[in-house]
Amino acid sequence: MIILFVVLPLIVAGILPLVGRVSRRVVPDLLANATMLFLLVYAAVAGRALIAGGPVLQQTSWLGEAVNLRLVLDGFSLFMLVAVSLVGFAASLFSIDYMEHYGAKANFYALYLIMIAGMNGLVLATDLFSVYIFLEVAAVASYALVAFGLGHDELEAAFKYLMLSVAASAFIVASIAIIFGMTGSLDFAAVAAALKELNAGAVIGVASAFFLLGFGLKAALVPFHAWLPDAHPSAPAPISAVLSGLLIKVSGVYAMTRIFLNVFGLTPALSTVVMGLGVVSMVVAAFLALGQKDIKRMLAYSSISQVGYIVLGIGIGTPLGIAGGLFHLFNHALAKGLLFLTSGSVQQATGTRDLDEMGGLAKRMPVTATTNLIGALSISGVPPLNGFWSKLLIIVALVQAGHPVYAVIAVLVSVLTLWYYLIMQRKAFFGKLNEKWATVREAPFWMMAATVLLALLCVGIGILFSSTVTTWIQPAADVLADGIHAVTGSWGF
Amino acid sequence: MILQTALLIGLVIFSVLAIALKDLIRSAISLAVASLLLGIIFFRMNAPYAGVFEISVVAGLITVLFILTIALTKTGDEVRESKLVDVVFPIVFVAFLVIDALVMKGLLGKVPALASGAETGSFGDALWRGRTLDLVGQIAVILAGVFAVLALFRKRDKHD
Amino acid sequence: MTNTWYLYLFFAAALVFAGLLGLLGKRNLIKLFIAIEVIGKGISLLLVGTGFAKANILTAQALAITYIVIEVSLVATALALIINIYRTSTSLDVRKLAKLKG
Repeated sequence: MIILFVVLPLIVAGILPLVGRVSRRVVPDLLANATMLFLLVYAAVAGRALIAGGPVLQQTSWLGEAVNLRLVLDGFSLFMLVAVSLVGFAASLFSIDYMEHYGAKANFYALYLIMIAGMNGLVLATDLFSVYIFLEVAAVASYALVAFGLGHDELEAAFKYLMLSVAASAFIVASIAIIFGMTGSLDFAAVAAALKELNAGAVIGVASAFFLLGFGLKAALVPFHAWLPDAHPSAPAPISAVLSGLLIKVSGVYAMTRIFLNVFGLTPALSTVVMGLGVVSMVVAAFLALGQKDIKRMLAYSSISQVGYIVLGIGIGTPLGIAGGLFHLFNHALAKGLLFLTSGSVQQATGTRDLDEMGGLAKRMPVTATTNLIGALSISGVPPLNGFWSKLLIIVALVQAGHPVYAVIAVLVSVLTLWYYLIMQRKAFFGKLNEKWATVREAPFWMMAATVLLALLCVGIGILFSSTVTTWIQPAADVLADGIHAVTGSWGF
Repeated sequence: MILQTALLIGLVIFSVLAIALKDLIRSAISLAVASLLLGIIFFRMNAPYAGVFEISVVAGLITVLFILTIALTKTGDEVRESKLVDVVFPIVFVAFLVIDALVMKGLLGKVPALASGAETGSFGDALWRGRTLDLVGQIAVILAGVFAVLALFRKRDKHD
Repeated sequence: MTNTWYLYLFFAAALVFAGLLGLLGKRNLIKLFIAIEVIGKGISLLLVGTGFAKANILTAQALAITYIVIEVSLVATALALIINIYRTSTSLDVRKLAKLKG
């Protein structure tokens, strides 16, 4: 019943406001987190068994009539579902304490679950236009969630994010319309088969360019990244974690990857362009992260840089490169989610996001300081944490595919990344304890629990990286490396 | 064909007016007229359902929402638009129209397309059977919009 | 592709471009949103026009209607944001948003 991934969060979201009238805190917390936990367990435990025999196609019938509710669960979608459920669960745990002083918790959880439902729907869809709809579902929920605190900065950030996002959506739909016009169909399998028959290189090039514009903006690739450094810091911490850790990857990277690799087929030209965008994002955003004083703004630029790595890895097109890119997607979701959550703990304890005002917080908030360090080292690619392995895979894949220059750049940017993260760690946590913070306390229980969970995963996956890769990453990479055949072969309904 | 092209030209003119006019109410009404024209264009394309939706929802509901917002944010028209923009943009737009026309003429017959089979069933079939997942998406996006408005208009104690 | 498709493509492109120009140049938040609406018109024209040219008008209408529903949700959210921005700063000038440099 893979439709549950979409329908369950929606139903719970629908009843949350009613529940919220009765009980303002406990029951909404319980309901929302139980839903997320269920999705996580379902994806992680039942998912692998489901796809053991090939992709699971679900065509439901409603009241006895066959309806076109087609969802497909293959290696790549399962991988994304697990990532979404994992980070989504951690962020919703974190919200139990963090969202207390924002008020309207039931409403918050409702929007949150709708965003998760949108992301899940996007990942399970088999049809170009359905991908677009669920992208918009998640996006509309995210606009409201970014602005949730109703402060001036948040509202402005949300509006700017909305404007740029709508422009991106227009290009995506334009491209879909062109493809519909050429092939008469929107289903992945049908479109892939039809495009092969048509041999319409130039028009597909235009459609690809529009997709790159649209999905590239959603993924915050340079030069379409302008909205992210304002939107992600202003949002409440758990939302920043989900936006940076999940939304830009699901609406941006997943959609782009699925369409470019499984529907269009990755041509050398497309590969070059995608890799170029990846490298530019990687480098430019890393430099921009250096000078930041606001802790969350630095994390936001770092997200743009790491998405560059992911796109670079996937753009190579070789199985190793794709595996490296996907593994880094997963690791970054965990680590960046973790970092935004700890920054939320710090912000709640000290009331500020300015690094220069912090100092020596490790003495008063040891757990937060440790988990933050783990997250920072993971993203910088320090062994034996998970980030090291995924970056290594990408670099090796680059060398093997004949791009030594890119490999060297990737290594250098890693060093740069380590540098600015160590600066952040030192300014916020190490050093002398700033007088102002002499009385701050460690984060409340659920916030700590969420960050510890993610930190343990970073360490665990780092140590057990090879089994993680074989169980979760490899099936996903195989689906993508298969190219068009993955879709035209086994997805025929 | 001539009528259709005239309607299309009218659509573009009223849309551009909606963006260019200074007075916000006149802009909103211009947008409504453009939506009306688009609805008629849809009717003439044998797309009555799209036409009805366009007229009732976009020309009706969205215009009402716009006028509501304009009324709630009366600032006395303090926002002065850039004069440079007012001069440069019409020129750029006309230039684009010329390029657009040339590109379309050049593309005539160049975009390959598969011959399409005849469409079977009624519109109801196409919507309820053919695009059922989209309906789930529609419900989700409506829920998202409703909760978004509820969240943004809630009674608030200021968050610091 | 039949020639009428190119006619609709021409006008749709004109509408989208006009909207993009509006997004770039205008300063009043409400005007910016009207520009977004114009882009939406262009896209729905393109969708229905493509369906018409392919004799696939029923599916295209379903797509266009879904697109309009999404548009309504977007408008509601955006206008809620605008009204709140007005309440916190009593100005609708997008230049006041320049505090966030991106």
